[in-house]
Amino acid sequence: MSVLSGQRAWLLQRITAIYAGLYVFLAVVLLLARPPADHAAWLATITHPVIWTATAAFAVLMLLHAWIGLRDVILDYVRPFGVRLGALAIVAILFLLLGLWALWILIEAALR
Amino acid sequence: MEFSIYRFNPETDSAPYMQDFTLGDDLVEPGMMLLDALLLLKEQDDSLSFRRSCQHGVCGSDGMNINGTNGLACIMPLKDLKAPIVLRPFPGMPVIRDLIVDMENFYHQYREAEPWLVNDSPEPEVERLQSPEDRDQLDGLYECILCGCCSAACPSYWWNPDRFLGPAALLQAARFIQDSRDEATEERLERLDDAYRLYRCHGIMNCTQVCPKGLNPAKAIGDIRRTMLKRSV
Repeated sequence: MSVLSGQRAWLLQRITAIYAGLYVFLAVVLLLARPPADHAAWLATITHPVIWTATAAFAVLMLLHAWIGLRDVILDYVRPFGVRLGALAIVAILFLLLGLWALWILIEAALR
Repeated sequence: MEFSIYRFNPETDSAPYMQDFTLGDDLVEPGMMLLDALLLLKEQDDSLSFRRSCQHGVCGSDGMNINGTNGLACIMPLKDLKAPIVLRPFPGMPVIRDLIVDMENFYHQYREAEPWLVNDSPEPEVERLQSPEDRDQLDGLYECILCGCCSAACPSYWWNPDRFLGPAALLQAARFIQDSRDEATEERLERLDDAYRLYRCHGIMNCTQVCPKGLNPAKAIGDIRRTMLKRSV
């Protein structure tokens, strides 16, 4: 598989979609079955090591999934090379910041 | 029967326009195809330009956009079309004149798919044989007549015609990847594995919907992806 493999992006998008689908399904089931009574209960749930790890992975994989999708849209529609490169850079920086923000929220919750 | 036909002559027109034509009911016969009607309209105005050759859906030269959908005029029954029949050249392809488009890029992408058998093994005394099962794998792939209906209906091809091979060329790529006699499968798959050539296909499936031969380029593209995946794991 080459560095610029189209297959890798295609495969990653599908794997991340499966993970995101499973996570959302299990999260909904869990929240419906055992709804947290208050903020303390919610914090206890989200900082449970398994749930915390699964949520952190969800944040990262969702951003990866969205990056591949938006990259595809930009490759499809944005033709001038410079504008394309600029659009890709803006999306990459934005997603990186979003990922760091999501992880910071999770770390902050775990440290409480 | 009313027609509205795209007209453009780069030598005399500054911009394309739609021209109305009327074909008298006395000239419309049962079983008539759109191409028959076009030939009669050409008798009214001999400057009306379109490609045609075999008139039996084999040569693929009279592809055009018919009431918003790409198809072959010679096998399109007139009775199935809602009047006024709106005829335009293939979308996404440069117009040479009226309904005639420049298909050079389409053929370029076809050549990029290397649609020939690669086999460097010594030639046998008779032909290179296949089992009936291996031969069956080529059904639905080899019948393409290169009319261009599919690629001209593909938004991904409109957006990146220079880098995305398009459904017609990818159908041919699949035809040689599937061929048990071909020895360049790895190289073929490797060449297709970038962000554009194969993976600009988003499964829109316009190609399958419009193919006048009933082929399924979208499935062929999916099969290439599956073959690629199997080889990489």
